Amino acid sequence: MSWIILIAAGLFEMFGVTMINQYHKSRSVTALIAMLLGFALSFVCLSIAMKELPMGTAYAVWTGTGAAGGAILGMIYFDEPAEWKRLVCIGIIITAAVGLKLIS
Amino acid sequence: MNKEWGKLIVAALFEVGWVIGLKHADSWLDWSGTLIAIYISFHLLIASGKKLPVGTAYAVFTGLGTAGTVLAEILLFGVPFQWSKILLILFLLSGIIGLKVLTDSHDKKEGETA
Repeated sequence: MSWIILIAAGLFEMFGVTMINQYHKSRSVTALIAMLLGFALSFVCLSIAMKELPMGTAYAVWTGTGAAGGAILGMIYFDEPAEWKRLVCIGIIITAAVGLKLIS
Repeated sequence: MNKEWGKLIVAALFEVGWVIGLKHADSWLDWSGTLIAIYISFHLLIASGKKLPVGTAYAVFTGLGTAGTVLAEILLFGVPFQWSKILLILFLLSGIIGLKVLTDSHDKKEGETA
């Protein structure tokens, strides 16, 4: 169950990042509120998941899904540049962040 | 473009601040500082996304925040020093510098054709 909540936390985080994009495109208050809600729900789910899962693991999975998912959604829906070199760099950042959270 | 990267770095510094706050705050003063730090860091993150690709900005923001938090724990809170952590931080920074160089050269190319 904790894992399902953790995945939900990652999805809400991806949603939040996508709404930052939407906000820049439309400047609408709705997007801003959706973004705040997305990040708030994401934090709530993360803290529930951390009650049962080890903190390092939960944090690592959460950062990884949010950052990778946010970047992928940005490339698909908001025409963010998707050259392979950028993908490698984003991959390096996410791998290192996940590693740091796993060993801390 | 450099200004946007500067905003991201400051956003990450405030992120480190509020992560520490969430763990260690125990008075109303600490908590209000933590809330202000959350506000500033997200405000700057969102502002940097005006010019930078948001997916990139977010990856850099969480990455730098993680590296900063790990360093702060070693330097300020007596968490034992580990080489593996330092190596991962260097690896992470190489990814961020790579992204910045790529983004800058991408802009220059666009400027030439425009």
